[in-house]
Amino acid sequence: MSSATTAKPKKTVQKQTAVKGPTNVLIVGVGGQGVIMVSKILARLSQLQGLQVKQSEVHGMAKRGGSVFSHIRFGEEVWSPTIPMGEADVVLGLEWAEGLRWLRYLKPGVGTFISDTKRIVPPFSCRDRRHDARHGYAHHTIAEIVAQVPSAYAPDATGMATELGNERVANTILLGLLSTVMDFPVESWREVLAEFVPPKTLDTNLKAFEAGRAWTKQDHKPLVDDAATQAAPEPLLKREVKLEITESWCKSCDICVKMCPERCLALNDHQIVELVKPEACTGCRVCEWLCPDFAIAVHVSTVPINTISAEAAGEVQA
Amino acid sequence: MSQMPQRQSLQGNQACALGAIAAGCRLFAGYPITPSSEVAERMSKELPRVEGVFVQMEDEIASMAAVLGSSMGGVKSMTATSGPGFSLKQEHIGYAALAEVPCVIINVMRGGPSTGMPTRPAQGDVMQARWGTHGDHPIIVVTPSSVQEIYQLTIRAFNLSETYRVPVIVLYDEAIGHLVDTVELPDPDSIEIQDRKWASGPAEGYLPYAADEDGVPPMPRPGDGYRTHTTGLTHLETGFPTQVPADVSRVIGRLLDKIERNRDAIEQYELTNCDDAEILVVAFGITARSSERAVNLARESGIKVGLMRPLTLWPFPERKMKELAGQVRHVLVPEMNAGQLILEIERLCPDSVTVSGINRFDGLPIDPGEVLDKIKEISK
Amino acid sequence: MSKLALNLKSLQKAGEKSDHKFEIRDYLRLDLFPHFLCPGCGHGIALRALLWAIHDLDIELDQLAVVSGIGCSGRLSAYIDANTFHTTHGRPIAFATGLKLARPDLHVVVITGDGDCLAIGGNHLIHAARRNLDITCIMLNNEVYGMTGGQVSPTTSLDRYTTTTPLGNQEPGFDACALAKGAGATFVGREVTLQTTALKNLMQEGLSHDGFSFIEVISDCTEIYGRKNELGSSPEMVLSQKRSILPKFDGTAVDKPFRAGNWDTGVLVREDRPEYYKAYRKHCHKVLGTAAVKK
Repeated sequence: MSSATTAKPKKTVQKQTAVKGPTNVLIVGVGGQGVIMVSKILARLSQLQGLQVKQSEVHGMAKRGGSVFSHIRFGEEVWSPTIPMGEADVVLGLEWAEGLRWLRYLKPGVGTFISDTKRIVPPFSCRDRRHDARHGYAHHTIAEIVAQVPSAYAPDATGMATELGNERVANTILLGLLSTVMDFPVESWREVLAEFVPPKTLDTNLKAFEAGRAWTKQDHKPLVDDAATQAAPEPLLKREVKLEITESWCKSCDICVKMCPERCLALNDHQIVELVKPEACTGCRVCEWLCPDFAIAVHVSTVPINTISAEAAGEVQA
Repeated sequence: MSQMPQRQSLQGNQACALGAIAAGCRLFAGYPITPSSEVAERMSKELPRVEGVFVQMEDEIASMAAVLGSSMGGVKSMTATSGPGFSLKQEHIGYAALAEVPCVIINVMRGGPSTGMPTRPAQGDVMQARWGTHGDHPIIVVTPSSVQEIYQLTIRAFNLSETYRVPVIVLYDEAIGHLVDTVELPDPDSIEIQDRKWASGPAEGYLPYAADEDGVPPMPRPGDGYRTHTTGLTHLETGFPTQVPADVSRVIGRLLDKIERNRDAIEQYELTNCDDAEILVVAFGITARSSERAVNLARESGIKVGLMRPLTLWPFPERKMKELAGQVRHVLVPEMNAGQLILEIERLCPDSVTVSGINRFDGLPIDPGEVLDKIKEISK
Repeated sequence: MSKLALNLKSLQKAGEKSDHKFEIRDYLRLDLFPHFLCPGCGHGIALRALLWAIHDLDIELDQLAVVSGIGCSGRLSAYIDANTFHTTHGRPIAFATGLKLARPDLHVVVITGDGDCLAIGGNHLIHAARRNLDITCIMLNNEVYGMTGGQVSPTTSLDRYTTTTPLGNQEPGFDACALAKGAGATFVGREVTLQTTALKNLMQEGLSHDGFSFIEVISDCTEIYGRKNELGSSPEMVLSQKRSILPKFDGTAVDKPFRAGNWDTGVLVREDRPEYYKAYRKHCHKVLGTAAVKK
């Protein structure tokens, strides 16, 4: 709207008088979790308070399990539908890594971070083909995050919801938590909730809402510690791959060299196969299976993770 | 439990089947062919009663192969056939000889060559029985000439085969194969049965073709832990192939020597009126029956004639033959072929001895009169 | 311990079960190595798959009998540390029939080739299929008589050059699986050596099948057939097996390996029919009465 600054003075006045800008809430999660539903509830709630609301979301493009986000801005007057980086008053994560992904949108020092510690590890985060390679999922512990964000809430909402008998009310628990950091009257939350959730589940949802509100008053030290181990799992064992090449059996057919998906084999000056890139070898055994001469044996052993060489450990971290 | 000998009226081919069962044969693989089919028929009836297996294979070659497969599994096995089928089995007889797989092949001879005369007797497979398969090889051929003898020699064929790990051929003609006679079946407990030597001792370093002092290696039985290799390639004591001349000459030499060194135990013959004989008739199978009658008639008319009836055609009783050849002036060899056994006799007789034959290959047995006439002619 | 850690553990356990413990050297007669096969020969890959399947089925080597015929395929039995029989040309199935009938306690596997099994030994294949004795027949099809120097075989593709088809082969090739199926085989399958794990699984199913199982392995003769027909280097030949192969789940899809014709791979036939030896023995006992049978 290019005419905004010149054609409508009234609005300009209003904008000037508005000491406080809109409140920004970023709701994030993965496809199928209910990001849209949660943001609709929040939007409706704001409307009932007589505020302007703008909501902007990405959905549909994200397949089930993919990243979904929804920007909600409400206030006396809202212009832009999206929240600039570092401007979110609240980041509400329905999934742990999605919460972390959007953490940089939070207002430094003052924003509130609320996220379920539930982890949904996407298959494509496993970029390393090795058997038990570390996936690309967030490696930070909950304790680390909580320490960095002054106002952070990281409940195991899904676990709590499961205890209530319905895993899907985890969102409502988070809404309950959110209600404690926002100014809307509690009654309004309950009314809107009743409007949106299926009537059959209302009872459970209300319980979940209360559970969320109650969570802030509890001492969460043990929970956080528990969750820490869950959030940053270390594979207990590490596969070590060794290629045993029987040179006198190799007949230089070249099959292994050409078929290796990692291109880590080559024929040497004597036309005998050699492992030239041991660090790339994943132990997939294609060479072993296709060697007509049984000249390659892939030995895979499992060793405790802490005994692997520093070099290999570095590689895992990378 | 001891039983009295049983007397039964049996056809030659049926006696053969009963002999095989008595010898411990527990698998028969065959293919129908005149005039041997009755062996298979009787075996198909008898084997299920002793927890054995009868199988009619898809062809003659397969039958012989199945017999070898079974024997390599450790079970005494046999097949029966006639001329055309015998020709087809030759490759596997060679395999049995080289790989030292005990087996018994019944060959009921019929008129040949080729399809020839399926229902007519002949003795044309004398040389094929010895040299039918390619290469130098050991083999034993036994030749019964009565129904009783078919029973006994079938048992002996198994015993020889098991003892020396060679293929043994029971060679008789259609005439006695289809002859029905009274047979005395001995008490089973009184029958002498030989089983092959089985490998024993540690599997480590075991050599499947390392022979004992008798020239015969003990046989490994699948499942006993020896895990050996059997091949039709010329092989070392280890069982694996070799082409090194010195090795080949040693291992093939031993194979052939198995028969040579044990000739005394293997060779069997029957002599009639030979002590003072000037004329010797050598005959086997149905022809031996005619010859015996002719010899007896000739003796009645004062002719000094004797009969040598080899029961093992191969190895031919050489020593005895040479001994007799030193005593007689004429050897007569009647046989139902164009002259096969006579070649062996000629080889064994000095020049001073005349060797002549009676040969017919028209599908008719040689009758006693024919032999007698010839004896009389020679004695003049 | 978290759930995830537990899952990792169970995954590792599964990995150990499936491939960790299989050391091919435990199954070989190491004195005979390196084996005599040419560089790139598919038979070696097939042999690995077979031994792997035997490993996974926990078949004791003492109880395993491998019967092979003549030709490149025939030589494979010697390399297996079991009871092995290198028999005559075309007849391994007939030998195996005798062996299995005499020793039903043994696992009997036949290794044969396209010439061995379909030309000189075709008769035995069809009757073994009909009889349904519990034998697993593995036919390595490389489309050529390799051992004798590269003559045309019953499975040589059209227009291919061999030493006896210097102008290109004009005889249509054999579909061995269709033959086995037509003859009544109760288990028929085909796989390429490139898909080693699929081949191993197929062999495993064939070995576990109670009855006659026939498995055709599409193998490569790289040095003789491949060279003569300019089919590419060893890796290229192996990889070319993959051209237009479609996975097969229900027997209706058609795979097209690089060889002639529209050939299916995977399990093509699986039927339940009484195994011959068991049926024979059971019938004999039924007719004669068990008491009448003397051991």
